[in-house]
Amino acid sequence: MAKSVISLYDVRRYYMMGDFIVKALDGVSLAIEEGEFTAIMGPSGSGKSTLMNLIGCLDTPTDGIIQIDGEGTMGMSEAELAFVRNQKVGFIFQQFNLLGKINALENVMTPLLYAGGVGIRERRERAKFALERVGLADRMHHRPNELSGGQKQRVAIARALVNNPSILLADEPTGALDTTTGRQILELFEEINSEGRTVVLVTHDREIGMRCRRQIRLRDGKLEA
Amino acid sequence: MLWENIRLALKDMMASKLRTLLSLLGIVIGVASVIAILTLGESATKSITQSIVEGGLEMVTIFPNRSEKASTEFTEDFGEKLMANVKELKTVLPVNSSSATLRNGQNTTSASISGVLSTYADILDYKVASGAFFSLTDNLTSRQVVALGSTIAENLFPDGNAVGQYVSIQRNQAKSYLVVAVMESKDASFNLSFNNGIFIPYNTYAQRFIKPANVGSYVVRIADGADPLVVSDQISAYLDSLVGSDAYNLFSPASLAEMAEQITGTFSTFLSAIAAISLLVGGIGIMNIMLVSVAERTKEIGVRKAMGASPNTIRGQFITEAVVLTFTGGFIGIALGTLLSWLVTDLVDWHLHISYGSFLFAAGFSTLVGVFFGWYPAMKASKLDPIEALNYE
Ligand SMILES: Nc1ncnc2c1ncn2[C@@H]1O[C@H](COP(=O)(O)OP(=O)(O)O)[C@@H](O)[C@H]1O
Ligand SMILES: [Mg+2]
Repeated sequence: MAKSVISLYDVRRYYMMGDFIVKALDGVSLAIEEGEFTAIMGPSGSGKSTLMNLIGCLDTPTDGIIQIDGEGTMGMSEAELAFVRNQKVGFIFQQFNLLGKINALENVMTPLLYAGGVGIRERRERAKFALERVGLADRMHHRPNELSGGQKQRVAIARALVNNPSILLADEPTGALDTTTGRQILELFEEINSEGRTVVLVTHDREIGMRCRRQIRLRDGKLEA
Repeated sequence: MLWENIRLALKDMMASKLRTLLSLLGIVIGVASVIAILTLGESATKSITQSIVEGGLEMVTIFPNRSEKASTEFTEDFGEKLMANVKELKTVLPVNSSSATLRNGQNTTSASISGVLSTYADILDYKVASGAFFSLTDNLTSRQVVALGSTIAENLFPDGNAVGQYVSIQRNQAKSYLVVAVMESKDASFNLSFNNGIFIPYNTYAQRFIKPANVGSYVVRIADGADPLVVSDQISAYLDSLVGSDAYNLFSPASLAEMAEQITGTFSTFLSAIAAISLLVGGIGIMNIMLVSVAERTKEIGVRKAMGASPNTIRGQFITEAVVLTFTGGFIGIALGTLLSWLVTDLVDWHLHISYGSFLFAAGFSTLVGVFFGWYPAMKASKLDPIEALNYE
C-alpha cells in the first residue's frame, strides 16, 4: 500500500462570529496517498479553501490531527510551520499572489531564499529551470503586471515547484482564467503529477474534476459520501 | 538574506522617493545638526587655539600670589632658576606693575605703569614708533625715563612730538620723567596690555614705587621652534613642585586653549543633546512610516509567509528596512552637516576640522534609531496571521 502524504483525523475549524459559531470544517477525516491527483469539489462556502489552508499549514485546526509526510503539525511553532510551507508543500492561489514589485524570476527565487543556505547563483539557476519547466523561459524578466493571467499562474506554479515539494496544493487555480487557458494549466498539473508529485486542487469545474483520478466532495464542512 | 533584505529595502525606497525623503527628514536634520555642532565646535576650538598660539608670541606670564612661599621664591633670581630647570626658554623677564596718573600740562590720563628691563621691547617684539627704548645704563642708574604706549602718548601729547618732553607721574608725589620713546600700537595679548601702558626701567620702578615683597610678574619667552603648549606645561609642572599650584597663576597659550576647549566643549555637548532630541523625533517619524509600510504590504507579508518566510525572517526584513532608512538618513545628514560646517567655517575664516569620530557616532546612532523604532512595526509584521494577511485587500 502506498504511503499517505496527507492524513486528516476528525479535523475541525470553527470561527467565532460574535455569538454563534461558523463550522467551516466540521469533522473531516481523509488520507491522500503519494502521487495521487485529487480534486476537491463542492459549493461555495462548503469549506474547500479552509481545508486547503489547513493542509498547506497556513492555518491551524480548532481540533483534530493533520499529518504532512507522516509528521503531525499540532503544536508546531510558527517557524516550524513556515518550514513545512517552504519545504513540503507548494501552494497555488486563484489570484496568483505574485509579488508585484519584482520580476517573474525573482518571484520564483523567493522560496529558495527562505529555504536558507542556497546561494544566489543556485537560486537563479533553479528558478530559471522551474520557469523553463512551465514554459516561461522567455518571460523571466517581466513583472507580474506585464504577464497574462495564464502566464501569471505559470509563474506561481514555478514558484510552488522550485523547492521541489512532494505536495502541490492549488485552490481554484483556473478560477480566474478562461476555459482554454484553464485547460492548459490543468495539463501542466497532470504533467507534474505524472512525475510522481501529489497534487490536490480545488475546482468548481465538473469537467476538470472528472479528469482527476479522485474526487472529494465537501458540503457544509463535511465530506459527502 | 541580509543582502536580499537590503536590496528589497532599497527597491522600496526608490519606488516612493518623495515619501522616503519626507520620512527621512527628521533623521537627516537631527544628524546634520549634531555633525555641524560637533564639527563647528571642534573647528572653533582649533581655530581659537591656533590664533592664541600664533598671536601669543610664545609668551607665558607668571603671576605670583601673595604668600610666604611666593616672596621667598619669586625674586629677581627666579628667572635664572626657571631657565635652569625648564629647557627651551629664551628669556624670563621680571615685571612690576601698578597704576598711576600721568599729566602733561592740562592733559591727564591714567595708565598701567610697568617697571621692565631694557630688553623688554625687543623680546616682546614691541616696536618703537619714535625715539629709542631705554637702555641698560638707564636701568642700572635708575634714570627717570619713560616709554609711552601709543594711546597714552596720544592722550598726553595730542600734537605729537612727545619724545624729549617730560611727563609727570603721580604716585604719592609727582615726579617728572623724560619721554625717551613712543611705542607703536600693539594688540594686547593675554594679560599684557601695551597701548594703555607706560614702561620705565625696572630699577627706577623699584626705587620710586613701593617695592613689593616679590616680583609682580614674569614674562617668559619660549625658545623659537619649541611647542609653547608643551613648554608651558613644563613650567607649570616645575612651579607646582617648587611652590605649589596655589602660589601662582600662569597665563599661557596652553591654559587659554584649554579654557577655550572647555567652553566650546560644554557648549557643543549641550547643543548636541538638543539636536539628539530631534533624532528621537526623527525616529518616531521612521516608526510611523514603517507602520504605514507594514499596513500597506500586509498582502505581501501574507504571500511571503505562504512561501515559507518565518516570523524571524519577516521581522528581519522590516528591521533591515528601517535601518536602511535611518542609515541613509544618517548618511545624508553627515554630508549635509559637513557641508554646512564647511560653509560656516569658510565664512568666519576658521580652519575646518572634520571629526571622523562624530561621523562614526552619527552612523551608529542612526542605525540604533532604526533598530529601536523599527522593532515594533517589524514585530507587528512578523505576527500577522498568514491567511488574514493573504486575504487583506
Ligand atoms: N476568517 C473567517 N471568519 C469567519 N468565517 C469564515 C472565515 N473564513 C471562512 N469562513 C467561513 O467558513 C466557511 C467556509 O469557507 P471557505 O473554506 O472559504 O469556503 P469555500 O472555499 O469552499 O468557498 C464559509 O461559510 C465562510 O464564510
Ligand atoms: Mg474558496
